[in-house]
Amino acid sequence: MKRTGIIRDFDKSTVSVKIGLTVVYLICLVIVLISLFPVFWVSMAGFKDLKEFMSSIAILPAAFDFSRYFKTWTQLNIVQNYLNSLYAILGSVFCALIFNGLLAYGLAILKPRGHKILQNLVMFSLLIPATISLVPLFMNIQNLNLGGFFTPLWLAAGASAFYVILFRQFFQSLPSSLIEAGRIDGCSQLQTFFRIVLPLSKPICVVVAIFAINGAWSDFLLPYLVLGQGRWQTVMVRLFVFSTQQTINYDDLMRAVVFSMIPPIILFFAFQKQLTENIVTVGIKG
Amino acid sequence: MKKRIRFLAILASLCILLTAYTPAVMGSSASAASSELEGISAEVVDADLTCTITLGNWPPDTAPAAELALFEGYRAIMQLQYPNVTVVPAYFSYTLSNYLPMARGGTAPTVFQPPFTDPQLLINQNLVADVTDALEQFGILEKFSPSFVELLGDENGRIYGLPRDGYVLGMHININLFEQAGLMTDDGLPMIPKTLQELAEYGQIIREKTGKAGLVFPASETFGGWLYTNIAWNYGAVGENALQYQDADGRWMANFTSEPAVAAMEYLRSLRWDYDILNADATTTDWASAHSFLGTGEAAMNFAADDSVAEPTAGGGLAVDKFALIPFPAGPGGAYALTGGTCFMFAPDTTHDQAVATLGFLRIIGMLPFASDDIVAGMRAGAAARRERGVPVLPPIPAWNDADFIAVQREIAEEYANVDMRLYQDFFDSLTDGSVALKGEEPVFAQQLYRELTSVIQRLITREDADVLRALSQAQERFQEYLDDELNNR
Amino acid sequence: MQSPLILLCQRKEVGAVGKLKPRTRQQMISWLIMLPGILLFAFFVWAPLLQSIQMSLYRTRNIELLEFVGFNNYISIFRREEFHQALVNTFSYTFWSLLIGFLIPIFMALVIGETVRGKGFFRTAAYVPNILPGLAAIILWTAFFSAEATGVINILLSKLGIERMAFLSQANLVIPIIVLTATWKGAGATALIYMAGLSGINPELYEAATIDGAGIIKRIRHITLPAIFSLGSTLLILQIISIFQIMYEPLVLTKGGPDNASLSLMLLMWRYAFGGTMDFGRASAVAVIISVILLGFTALYSIVNRRKTEWE
Repeated sequence: MKRTGIIRDFDKSTVSVKIGLTVVYLICLVIVLISLFPVFWVSMAGFKDLKEFMSSIAILPAAFDFSRYFKTWTQLNIVQNYLNSLYAILGSVFCALIFNGLLAYGLAILKPRGHKILQNLVMFSLLIPATISLVPLFMNIQNLNLGGFFTPLWLAAGASAFYVILFRQFFQSLPSSLIEAGRIDGCSQLQTFFRIVLPLSKPICVVVAIFAINGAWSDFLLPYLVLGQGRWQTVMVRLFVFSTQQTINYDDLMRAVVFSMIPPIILFFAFQKQLTENIVTVGIKG
Repeated sequence: MKKRIRFLAILASLCILLTAYTPAVMGSSASAASSELEGISAEVVDADLTCTITLGNWPPDTAPAAELALFEGYRAIMQLQYPNVTVVPAYFSYTLSNYLPMARGGTAPTVFQPPFTDPQLLINQNLVADVTDALEQFGILEKFSPSFVELLGDENGRIYGLPRDGYVLGMHININLFEQAGLMTDDGLPMIPKTLQELAEYGQIIREKTGKAGLVFPASETFGGWLYTNIAWNYGAVGENALQYQDADGRWMANFTSEPAVAAMEYLRSLRWDYDILNADATTTDWASAHSFLGTGEAAMNFAADDSVAEPTAGGGLAVDKFALIPFPAGPGGAYALTGGTCFMFAPDTTHDQAVATLGFLRIIGMLPFASDDIVAGMRAGAAARRERGVPVLPPIPAWNDADFIAVQREIAEEYANVDMRLYQDFFDSLTDGSVALKGEEPVFAQQLYRELTSVIQRLITREDADVLRALSQAQERFQEYLDDELNNR
Repeated sequence: MQSPLILLCQRKEVGAVGKLKPRTRQQMISWLIMLPGILLFAFFVWAPLLQSIQMSLYRTRNIELLEFVGFNNYISIFRREEFHQALVNTFSYTFWSLLIGFLIPIFMALVIGETVRGKGFFRTAAYVPNILPGLAAIILWTAFFSAEATGVINILLSKLGIERMAFLSQANLVIPIIVLTATWKGAGATALIYMAGLSGINPELYEAATIDGAGIIKRIRHITLPAIFSLGSTLLILQIISIFQIMYEPLVLTKGGPDNASLSLMLLMWRYAFGGTMDFGRASAVAVIISVILLGFTALYSIVNRRKTEWE
């Protein structure tokens, strides 16, 4: 039965529509293939040694030799890096939700005098290429003696124009009667945020959290500068350092790439339902 | 949901189990090199020196176990000689973009290893520490050859670093491919190209017989221009035809359109379109991947130096007896070879004590020009580790003006030799018999010069109809603008 | 000794303040609630930006300011050929990104939206590239687009009997290819947002249109596309902003080559700062120019948007 979308049951009678639907499914399969093939390929490439990687034109490796993966895994000390990435993520998600959420709450609901100026400043922040600010920013971080640990990375997640805009749009769509009700019950502004606004905003919180996880996992330039190559370095810092090493073997690099992809893929498939559903919910409102 | 969490928990515990296993793997490889270390003096050198040094010249944790064990051995000795100095391993892969923020933010390692292209830039930019006094204390200042004083010092005669080793550009050869192409002499040695013309012809034979690239040519970013300068010299782009020169008013002028410069570029162009011997992806090939190409037998020749013989052999898997190093092929205008090297420099906030402690460590690992017994033992350990890894052990290009030290280096190389020296004979002969003239890099803004010339190369090897002279004169204009901005109009 | 009158006045005053106070107090509290966020923005975004703007007006020794030179950095950049090329290239990136990167997600949303069975799977699979770390993905693409026989795309092409190609060495191909890789990563996520928009369309509209005799194409043209128009225009401007700042992809894949054919403005900025001269003055100037252009785009967008709303 087909009760959604543009093509409907009542179209199905004609042959051309049936062919059309088949084509639709074929295209979907192609989309899946294109999306997943590179991941499949690199996992296979990880089984090859350098010689095979540089000369074999087969997608599949000659042998499924897990010891190669194991060697790279121990050499790069991936577990420690995974744990470090986890620390980076936990703090980033917390800061991303609280600080951006509070700022957006002020802009969308409290609206004190002068908030428009602030709003424009935040919007404008979206247009600034972050890379050039990197060096002055790093200097400022060092001047405050914040380097060497995750603190600046966590706090940086609390200053994202993109998250503020997402939050603000969602908050604006909340029914104002509920917020009024909270005020009448004697909630302070801060209490209103934590007791009423946040619980109502689960979809956007999930979306921002996922973006923040993704960001904290993928970012490498500022983390590299802040954390250095010491004990706190994250997976992507490790991959970045490894990929810029002068004496690098491409087979090892491919395995490092695989290791950097595994946790997000596992997390994604574990929580994909929440993710896609919440994005859909937020998408409608936005 | 519960299931999911349990699944994740199992996964996490698996990870932890895997780490627990790690030390056993790493620890199991005791090395022959460490036995050499027993010869190093364990006497206290300075008990009062108290500081922490972070060593950027430490091998990366992905390095072979033998090398890491060697450095752990060095560290143990350091602790005996300087009991109050704390050594922090801090492998640092130097690039300008990594180094600058760290230097300004105070997180750069005490000592790091930039190539010879960068000392003057780093000194001018105030990004390295003055270590003249520490060098004097070790009595090695007078062993600097004058060219290194110029390279590592400022106009006030202060010195900011010390040379690690030099290199001379030549050519790496994958003998397997020469064999397959039948390019062998009766003695079982590869027929090596003596001239650029022969290089093109041999490359063509290799391409026809084996299907592999005759020459891997890294033409990405700045590498192509770097190699081109050497080819251009061999076509005669020196003296009055030099790629850059100072005019009568002292202004720096770019000169890419001289007859030799154009001829050299025509030559590179012909390697792609007439002889077709280049690897397919030259424009995105960099230094590291070029060595992989040669090591894994995807290319037969690579313009490379004596300091990177480890990359194609131990790194790329090429057996040491199938690898040769030959002089840079001569051209119609002469035979030059680019010489450069790597040095040790110090983070800008390095104190005198830190500099002294670091030099103490460099002495232990045999990087200072002393030929005392314990240092020789340290150098032996290094050579033993190289042999163990399957890296050709070669006599180094001298970085110091000290005949005794050089003699000792040679001796050790011979003792640990693991290669048929005939495969290297021409290269090392050419350094002393004058058949090749050694020449340093172009004097000003070499990296920018390379970048502009690389652009030209990229255009010529990707577009068959591109005009050599026109491309060169455009690049010349761009580089001239650059020189005017940065030097002439300042 | 105070007279009762004065006391009264004081109390009155207190009363007046007390009346005003809840409002002012609320305002104060509102600002206090936003203060942590404001401080973070100030520290992480605005201060470094102001430092960059300042730097763009100075001759610098790496990030030290040496001497104020007014707009000299800008003038010398405008004279340089590489800047012209980077500017043209960046607009070319934008053009291709609009052609490829804008339409593909809409197409994907339409197609996946039409499926019944396996919709969840298609949606999830298409989203996977988005969760992969960017650096890892770019490293992958270097292997995919390699011109050697082992380049993955070339392997696939050879199975189809198509001759080996040097993708990243062709000046006219390199930008579309880089845009393709960026689209691969982002399209699934964008498509998901469009699908949300599509599912919000009232199904009765389609039925009514069908009764009026509209075929499938007509339904798409008159119902589907208009419904996602405003969503599309928002996503469009976000896409322009992000593609205009493209840097890592060309930095890792081509280093801006061949012959600067893939050099973007951001990559030029990176070169000035870290490519061997540490010229932060000029690098900052390029960054400011990028921001100004983006500001122009955004202003244009909001004007067009306002016009459109007025018409409606």
